Amino acid sequence: MLDSLFFPQPLLAALEEVLEQNQTALWWYTALVRFVFPILALLILLRAFRGLLRLRRTPECWGQLALPGGGSIPICHWENILGRAPLADIRLDFPTVSRQHAVLVREESGAWKVTDLGSKGGTLVNGAAVEGSAPLQMGDTLSVGGIELLFLPLSQEEEKKLLSRRRSEGPVSMWPSLLLLTLFQILAAVQLLIGNLEERGLYPLVMLALTAVMWLYVLIMRGLGSRGFELETIAFFLSTLSLAVTLSSAPASVVKQLVALVLGLIFLVVLGIWLRDTARIQKLRWLMAGLAIGLLLATVVLGQTKYGASNWIILGPFSFQPSEIAKIFYIFAGAAGLERLFRRRNLWLFMVMTGACLLCLAKMSDFGTASIFFATFLVIAYLRSGDFATLSLICGGAVFAGVLILQFKPYIFRRFASWGHAWEAASSTGYQQTRAMSAAASGGLVGMGPGEGWLKNIAAADTDLVFGVLCEEWGLIIALLAVLSILVLALFATWACRMGRCAFPTIAACAAGSLFVVQTMLNVFGAMDLLPLTGVTFPFVSNGGSAMIASWGLLAFLKAADTRERASFAIEGGLRKGKGGART
Amino acid sequence: MKKLERRALLCLVLAGCLLAGLVLFVGLWAVRGEHWASSAFNRHLYNKQGILMSGTVLDRNGEILTTVDEDGNRVYVGDKARRTSTLHVVGDPYGNISTGALSAFAQKLTGYNLIFGAFGAEQGGNNLYLTIDAHLNEVAYQALGGKKGTVAVYNYKTGEILCLVSAPAYDPMNIPSDLEENEKYEGAYLNRFLSSTFTPGSVFKTVTLAAALEEIPDLESRTWTCEGSTQIGEGVVTCISAHGEQDIREALANSCNGVFGQLAVELGGDTLERYAEKAGLTSSYSINGISTAKGSFSFGDDVSTTDLAWAGVGQYHDSVNPCALMIYMGAIANGGKAAVPCLIQKVESQGLPSLPQFTRKTKTLISSDTAETVAEMMMNNVQTAYGTKRFPNMELGAKSGTAEVGPEEKPHAWFTGFLKNEEAPYAFVVLVENGGSGADVAGTVASKVLKAALEQVG
Repeated sequence: MLDSLFFPQPLLAALEEVLEQNQTALWWYTALVRFVFPILALLILLRAFRGLLRLRRTPECWGQLALPGGGSIPICHWENILGRAPLADIRLDFPTVSRQHAVLVREESGAWKVTDLGSKGGTLVNGAAVEGSAPLQMGDTLSVGGIELLFLPLSQEEEKKLLSRRRSEGPVSMWPSLLLLTLFQILAAVQLLIGNLEERGLYPLVMLALTAVMWLYVLIMRGLGSRGFELETIAFFLSTLSLAVTLSSAPASVVKQLVALVLGLIFLVVLGIWLRDTARIQKLRWLMAGLAIGLLLATVVLGQTKYGASNWIILGPFSFQPSEIAKIFYIFAGAAGLERLFRRRNLWLFMVMTGACLLCLAKMSDFGTASIFFATFLVIAYLRSGDFATLSLICGGAVFAGVLILQFKPYIFRRFASWGHAWEAASSTGYQQTRAMSAAASGGLVGMGPGEGWLKNIAAADTDLVFGVLCEEWGLIIALLAVLSILVLALFATWACRMGRCAFPTIAACAAGSLFVVQTMLNVFGAMDLLPLTGVTFPFVSNGGSAMIASWGLLAFLKAADTRERASFAIEGGLRKGKGGART
Repeated sequence: MKKLERRALLCLVLAGCLLAGLVLFVGLWAVRGEHWASSAFNRHLYNKQGILMSGTVLDRNGEILTTVDEDGNRVYVGDKARRTSTLHVVGDPYGNISTGALSAFAQKLTGYNLIFGAFGAEQGGNNLYLTIDAHLNEVAYQALGGKKGTVAVYNYKTGEILCLVSAPAYDPMNIPSDLEENEKYEGAYLNRFLSSTFTPGSVFKTVTLAAALEEIPDLESRTWTCEGSTQIGEGVVTCISAHGEQDIREALANSCNGVFGQLAVELGGDTLERYAEKAGLTSSYSINGISTAKGSFSFGDDVSTTDLAWAGVGQYHDSVNPCALMIYMGAIANGGKAAVPCLIQKVESQGLPSLPQFTRKTKTLISSDTAETVAEMMMNNVQTAYGTKRFPNMELGAKSGTAEVGPEEKPHAWFTGFLKNEEAPYAFVVLVENGGSGADVAGTVASKVLKAALEQVG
């Protein structure tokens, strides 16, 4: 049905004739644009990188605690630990104060409450001892281990100053990058169109639909008041590469890929708005855990095998990989709020849930996704508990389990046998890796031109070996920039910790960033024979609907941690229109 | 929240792993990338049959040896004799002859490089001019007369290799179906000149002689009497016939094993080893990036006196690479240093001028005074032993060798030397495996090839 739409015979015939007469001009077009692409990519991405990695940032401020001897301590988060420990958010270095004395939490409504953490010196609000937790109003006196603190809002002048400082450090304007990305997309569409009319028909024009989707998204979000688009610019850039790789390797599935991208965008927006309300999140954690395990269980039962792992569910004309979507629910369920950080039981439940997920994935023999889940588990568990010893033990256990499996069921790992020796098994288990490496070296720094490679004809070229296709058709520079983009997403998540309002989005952002990183490592180094080839996707880039939706969905966690002034739609108004009691 | 900030270092560690891996990959890409790209399955450079799909190889006179036709197929030009005799320098289509131009110079032919990639490689590629003269190769291959062996001639002043054949060879346009099985084609993928080593026999006496000239002051006033066999140590060193009384010049011309065996023992293993190393026989040369095989010797303390005597006349465990020997001959003729041989004359990219090729010199292989004396004695060999009639109008210095390679086999025949001719400063080496007498068999091949080479000079 689509084919007839994208192959209008008379038009194609006419086009064919024009191209036939201008062979030399076409050759020169490719010869020139392949130098233009890396330059555009650098300009597009460096601007976004600069915006995300700007180190000097002023945190938000929600009030202050005035000290008895004068001076005050700003309250920078929604969840604050008061105590003597050097890593307390509000550090009170007095002998009567416990290391972790109390927690000061702002609720969604703007109301504050203080919770005593079983301190020796005790906590009092307006002279009354706090049993468990007690509400705290602006103007109240908070006594921590005998230290009298006055809980005050920022003065209007201070607030104004802070706001103007934060505004000046706000997101970098992405208009130039988006315009350049549009040019990038148009040049790529033309290159792919004239490269192979016979095979691709008018499919390359789908790239222009991506341009339209991109601008629609940006303009709507800008209209709604959000100003930070660095994350989306990076994601749109990577998605552009994804469509190009798909057009090169399997032109007909580009429409599906674009639809998946739109679904992913919708998922991003819904999830982002959902994440604004932290209270809502807490209630849904059980549901999310159930969804993650349910999806994986369903795959175990209904799954069908493609390329060695039985992780596909096929429903009529649709086929998808539920394990991709399960990643989002898994992070959702695993990341926790601050008050839960002090209860160990939650971590055990999380471990049980992880175990269930890993068992399902092992059953599907999808070891790539299993390693991704495991790495994400480690990140979340460590952020939640800080317990290095237990996690080392778990890692040791995992290695032991791996060795056991290797001992008793060595055949499971047979397809990884050529790891590190791909060239010695170039016609058997090292077939894909050697092809990917050879193609990667053929592209040089600027590539053979989009759509002009041969690796695309090898099985799984547009998914597992996509890094090889990037190197071959787009050149080493763009391939490296794609990997660096993922790296920057992860760095941004880590840096966002300092500015985070509460634990949940911070942990979720770090988990999502790390998941991207681990997945990219497995994909890129797997294709280049530095790691076993496990068949995982390159976030945003690999051809695959489920993977595309999941990548954009995971981006919501990063958006929810972007507390820069008016930067992110996934964050409650910030200082601009704080609702509730905090500043009334 | 500060705690989280601290714990988030774990994420930085993961990010660090990605970055480190990426740096490692770029390193590997830079170091091994060219090797990765030159795989026969790389469709940017090789066609479906795994054959290099662009680039033309020509000889020094511009005669095309191999090119790509309009349909993208690789074709070899010329008749069967031309194709066969140039096979080892041009290379076979499937890359089995790794020292051939199609393999060793593939990047120069396609224009592929790591920076710009393979873009444009399918557009015909470059013209690579070899230094060899295809006609000379044909003469040399015919002269070998179906025997296994190698013939090479090069200009010791410029380094250009004019003739290089290795036999057995085959016609790359009609590859024999029994290539892998037939004993006739054994070692056909090997370029014997570059990649093999052989027992040198008497040609090694040129090294023993150089050592003796420098280490034994009264050498040129000594005389020896050869009775056909000489007791040295526990054993006996034999000659083909009794040479009678002779001085060192006559001993070299007679190729007297007795004399050179005694000299070897007098010099000692360490001294011989030093001179063999100095002569470059134990090191590898780089011929436009192709590494030659290294020769090897056993002159150690555990070698008996008799064996040392045999080692001094090129037997025992001696093995020599023909190319290294030829360069040594060049050095003898050229006052101690010769040009390092090269196979590429120039590379023409489409529309671009070719880069000039520079001549590199070897280190001093033999001191200049000694070189002069040895050269004079080798020219004396031709006049008194090999006969000037066989080598008309040539100022030729040479040394033959008849290397025993086993009780059941005929000896290898060697003939190597140089021309002291301003117009044709050539050094050469001829090896006929199991050919018999060096002076007769290999000398005849050398005679034919040198005549043809001088005709080309005019």
